[in-house]
Amino acid sequence: MTVGKPLPASDAVARVTGKTPYAGNWNFPRMLVARVLRSPHAHALIRGIHTTRAAQVSGVVAILTSEDLGQPGGPANRYGVMLKDRSPVARERVRFAGEPVAAVAAETAAAAREAAARIRVEYEPLPAVFEAREALAPGAPSLHAEYPDNCFRHAKLRNGDVREGFAAADLVVEETYTSPIAHYAALEPHITAAQWQGEELTIWTTSQAPYRVKNSVAELFQIDPERVRVIVPPLGGGFGGKGHVKLEPLVAALAWKANGRPVKLTLSHPEEFVTVIKHAATIKMKSGVTGDGHFTAHQATVYWNGGAYADISPGLVGAGMLRVTGPYRFSRVHVDSYGVYTNLPPASAFRGAMSSQGTWAYESHVDSLARRLGIDPVAFRRRNLLQDGDQYATGEVVHDVHWTECLEACIEGLQWQERELPPAEEKVRYGRGVAVMSKNTLPSSRSECRLALDGEGRLTVYTSTVDMGQGSHTALAQIAADGLGLSFDRVIVVGPDTRDTPFDSTTSAARSTSMMGTAVARGAEQLQKELKELAAPIVEHRPEELGAGHGEIYVTDRPAERVSYTEILRRHGREFLEAKGEFATDIPPLDEGTGQGIATPHWHQGAGACEVAVDMETGSVTILRYYAASFAGRIINPQLARLQNEGNVIFGLGPAMQEEVIVGEDGQIANDSLDAYKIPSLRDIPQHLDSISLESDHGEIHGIGEMTLTPVAPAVANAIYDATGVRVYDLPLTAERVLRALNDGT
Amino acid sequence: MERERHSVTLRINGDYHDLRVPADEFLLDTLRDRLGLFGAREGCGVGFCGACTVLVDGRLMSSCLLLTAHVDGRVLTTVEGLAQEGKLHPVQQAFIDCHAFQCGYCTPGFILTAVALLDEEPHPDEATIREHLSGNLCRCGSYMNIVEAVQQASERRGQ
Repeated sequence: MTVGKPLPASDAVARVTGKTPYAGNWNFPRMLVARVLRSPHAHALIRGIHTTRAAQVSGVVAILTSEDLGQPGGPANRYGVMLKDRSPVARERVRFAGEPVAAVAAETAAAAREAAARIRVEYEPLPAVFEAREALAPGAPSLHAEYPDNCFRHAKLRNGDVREGFAAADLVVEETYTSPIAHYAALEPHITAAQWQGEELTIWTTSQAPYRVKNSVAELFQIDPERVRVIVPPLGGGFGGKGHVKLEPLVAALAWKANGRPVKLTLSHPEEFVTVIKHAATIKMKSGVTGDGHFTAHQATVYWNGGAYADISPGLVGAGMLRVTGPYRFSRVHVDSYGVYTNLPPASAFRGAMSSQGTWAYESHVDSLARRLGIDPVAFRRRNLLQDGDQYATGEVVHDVHWTECLEACIEGLQWQERELPPAEEKVRYGRGVAVMSKNTLPSSRSECRLALDGEGRLTVYTSTVDMGQGSHTALAQIAADGLGLSFDRVIVVGPDTRDTPFDSTTSAARSTSMMGTAVARGAEQLQKELKELAAPIVEHRPEELGAGHGEIYVTDRPAERVSYTEILRRHGREFLEAKGEFATDIPPLDEGTGQGIATPHWHQGAGACEVAVDMETGSVTILRYYAASFAGRIINPQLARLQNEGNVIFGLGPAMQEEVIVGEDGQIANDSLDAYKIPSLRDIPQHLDSISLESDHGEIHGIGEMTLTPVAPAVANAIYDATGVRVYDLPLTAERVLRALNDGT
Repeated sequence: MERERHSVTLRINGDYHDLRVPADEFLLDTLRDRLGLFGAREGCGVGFCGACTVLVDGRLMSSCLLLTAHVDGRVLTTVEGLAQEGKLHPVQQAFIDCHAFQCGYCTPGFILTAVALLDEEPHPDEATIREHLSGNLCRCGSYMNIVEAVQQASERRGQ
């Protein structure tokens, strides 16, 4: 068995020798270099675009402007995964500073840069709006004619009568939490290349969702998706920023003008900041509780800043509705989740999507409720966390839930009971905090794979799951190896390449190990079944009397009677033996008016606990210890699981403690470089960081890509409260912000 | 727009390369575009993330900020030059054994930084390791495993 073992990543040697074939290495024959001209205005009408001088630059092959859109056989005016609100390059109007207005393909980067600089655009600036609640106010500038009030989605959850619940409460608490824009900062940028060969389009791209790209680009050009081939290399980090459709429509449109030559666009790091951002959120929490610490009602209202284009925000705003209430027994609960257009770069799923914002609010709020009631925050959670058989806010009954176990694992891991906190000093106070999270994964999605066993006894797994550092190809190889009874080193995982690898919805929402893993296990099972049937006449036993392992089919009662897979294929004159695997979930959507129904195939569950020191003079917070727990169901690879758990905490520390994208009055991002936007380094992480993945008897596989991330910010803020008696409502928890709160004594 | 070119001789991973490069060409581009050495990568582009780290005369440098013309005659080591006779460098092996990466994009930079540290100080304590590696960024957050890998490489060196 390989499942459960800490095997090294299957391409580990390539990773440590610099040989991993990332997108940046691509250099195709006759390849052109692309450069994008971007709007300096946050909101403006385009009165004219003049490209004559640009076209004169030696080496320029193609220039793309909105004039090229809507032509027969070419790219259409608009695209969008959920709302068709965007053009490959801006048409008539720009809606955020940094929006592509034109693109150039040239023989060299220098020529492309020179030509882009020579394009003259006439703008007529319009008033702009950058905050979601301001964008909803009457008289605010409107971005899209179809949504004059800028609200592109209002998702509602209605369970019980909250007014009645508030009236019955001993205490009603209202609080507002905010979570700012953050930047993905994958070290590898977005890179996309495209080439038209006659009617066929090939796209090489750093995407987490090759089939979304394939279908969206086919739709943009109104062609059969079978004419679009999408190839994805290993990614140098994704974190949601490479999800869905990003550069591909622009690059495919530019390549359409490049006479069949491949065109490659590589974003600079500042361009990354205007390509996709994390949703800023303002979250209003209102709860009614009884004196003994039970909820009578809970109400959450959240405003998501979606930026200028919807991307997949309409879906995320719906999912976000479920991610701003915790896994608690509320009895009555209402949620209003608003998705709002503003003149900022488009927002999308950011590792722990909508959940990091939501957990920040509800876990701070729950802590605050407990403190106000004079109840220990851990005890308050124990009292209210959902247990097997309880109802979620959606009305569904939850099973196989382990929130309390996750909480207890963190308490134990931090040695909460055993170790005393250091006594307060004149300047420094110490405190502890916890937070618990729950997150729905995709209700309906599908994963397919193809498995091919060859005459050498090697198994190739064809999958469209993207390996972006989470080790999914390693985990899938382990599942396939065990499923077929082969050693790990006989399994090769390839893809995505939509020509060879079958459909998969997306690599996101921590779904791949669970969904694609199940598809691979099913494919392996099918292959094993066929092998037994083919082996039966050779060993002269019925298939059901046969077992499989170590690359051989054997007679269960008499293991000495056996035949190798290689021999089975040879005897039957087969070069390959193939099987398909598929796994799909198909849960009907929640009721549109009430948000009631089944939200997810299973709930993602996690928790975190920490110990902090707060410098009362400077506001500086040091995290001394952090312990994280996720519910994994069944662990495929303990080392990869630990990397996910602890990587989540470290990633989560960024937006919790130090990261914030600063938008100037003109809508331009002021800190669009990693020397100004500081992501965590080894100096910023706790001295002691540890984690655990919990398993259950049922053995269902849960993804763990996000579970320990979202509790980070509230666990730290709750520890700050424990240390100082002061609550901070806005992220990140910088020294400046904590000091201000200490001075205000909030 | 013919730019002025400079003749440079670089010794990279033991091999000599005679090149004619424009005055404004960065070492990172020379390595990747002219020599096919893809281990050094652009991350931030401003010398902050360490993904483009190379050793120049044994010292750590950000190749995204270094002009190729300025390193004429110098001895360079990139991650491709660490393995000897098909055997991984002990630091590379420790990174595998300790699972010290996720996406791996930053890994060559971390490995070279660790190699430079252990050459200077074969048995650093954890605080020194953390401090020395804090100029390299890993967005996946594999830091705990990276520190363990450096410790393991250091211990093995002592044996």
